[in-house]
Amino acid sequence: MTANGYFTEHRRLWLGLCSFFFLVTAWELVLTYIFPVNPFFFTKPSLIAAAFKEQLQGAKLWHDLAVSSQAFLWGFSFAVIVGIPVGLVMGWRRRVEYSLDPFLTALYASPLVALAPLFIIVFGVGVLGKAALVFLLAVFPFVFNAFAGVKSTDLLLINVIRSYGGSEKDLYLKVILPSTMPYIIAGARLAIGRGLVGIIVGEFYAASEGIGFAITQAGDTYRLPDMFVGIIILSLIAVGLTELMRKLELTVAPWRASDEVR
Amino acid sequence: MIPFIQARNITLVFSPKNREPVTALSDFSLEVGKGEFVSIVGPSGCGKSSFLNILLGLIKPDSGEIQLNGAPITGPGQERAMVFQEFGLLPWRTVTANVELGLELKGIAPARRAERATELIKLVGLKDFASHYPHELSGGMKQRVGLARALATNPEVLLMDEPFAALDAQTRDLMQMELLQIWEHTKKTVLFVTHSIEEAAYLSDRVIVMTARPGRTKDILKIALPRPRDYEMRLTPEFNEIKLRIWEVLKEELTSGGQT
Repeated sequence: MTANGYFTEHRRLWLGLCSFFFLVTAWELVLTYIFPVNPFFFTKPSLIAAAFKEQLQGAKLWHDLAVSSQAFLWGFSFAVIVGIPVGLVMGWRRRVEYSLDPFLTALYASPLVALAPLFIIVFGVGVLGKAALVFLLAVFPFVFNAFAGVKSTDLLLINVIRSYGGSEKDLYLKVILPSTMPYIIAGARLAIGRGLVGIIVGEFYAASEGIGFAITQAGDTYRLPDMFVGIIILSLIAVGLTELMRKLELTVAPWRASDEVR
Repeated sequence: MIPFIQARNITLVFSPKNREPVTALSDFSLEVGKGEFVSIVGPSGCGKSSFLNILLGLIKPDSGEIQLNGAPITGPGQERAMVFQEFGLLPWRTVTANVELGLELKGIAPARRAERATELIKLVGLKDFASHYPHELSGGMKQRVGLARALATNPEVLLMDEPFAALDAQTRDLMQMELLQIWEHTKKTVLFVTHSIEEAAYLSDRVIVMTARPGRTKDILKIALPRPRDYEMRLTPEFNEIKLRIWEVLKEELTSGGQT
């Protein structure tokens, strides 16, 4: 393959990397030579990098990450366990749909983080309060995407299962769930973002540890490079998990790989 | 003696929401002998596909009786299997897993399922594609999987709802020949719905011509061509004469029903 061909093939990656490095360099140069702002009020990549290195070597960052991950995993797992079955049954059973719809639509559309203080009061400052908040935010994408997935299930396949004497359980397990999987995974991608918001907001309100707490604390004490470290780590986690979901989508739905939209 | 399949005075009315009810079948009667190959042709919307679904047990007629081997049909059953026009393969399953579907739903043990699936995949000529997914197959191959899946449960009656309509002309010719070969050595009773006069004449022992909606039997034509039938037979004057006879019966319905 020629060098030219190689760049054409991977241009998505290369152009992305180039614009990233361009932005970082520009940021650094502007703050060093054009507007040398007091590092107390704003910061630049070299200082963030130094803070990053320092924090990676310390114990506090890892502890904060562990604390936040624990709450995230609990809340997210419950969102999966509750959200998917509710969405599936809602999609398949009209009566369930009509009963739950007004309630779920209102909650999905509302800025649920407004409920954060209430959740902290009811469930406490620890893991439980944060996990409850993550659950509340992450459960709706699962419900709605599972619901939409069921609605798009091919009726012909339902008839195929029925024609071989399949039961209601067979319909769910052999057609409805597998055909809904790509929708559920797309929902998971949304839920990851919302769940991370849940963690951070929970820790902003009341916490003494966790990555969200570390960000607020750094901000409150004007340690901007440390604050950026927290933010960057969050973005990296979000991007990593989202990419994982994309890979998962191709694994569970190989037949959709061919019509994958770029 | 009671015929193998007996449908008497079947009436089926669809009542879609906010629209006039539509009578799909009205007083439709049919008798099919064991091992017979019967085709049903008729204008679009005459209820021929609905009739197959009644036989399959997926829809219940509003009135009339339908019996298989002397017992009324009340729901889906082991002795009947359908080959669908749009194949109806599960896209997340390999060819083998698709062929096993019916056996799996009947609770057959995995080892026996796999054995039976392998046998049928070989019969329909897809041995090298057993672990492929449907999206990797051509239309003709997909319908071979559909046929293998239906045969896997070893039904006595094979219901075929325009099974080759979605295929190109050459694949279609080939599939018809293969279907005849399979039918000749499995001796299933086949009910075959089609829009193609040529297909009906080539495959069948008898052709039922239905009226425009509401569907009723207009005429029954016996196809007295010798078997086994080959492709060359389709070029003979006798064959053309049969096609002409079917066409003449069908023609009035196509024009009078206002359907195209």
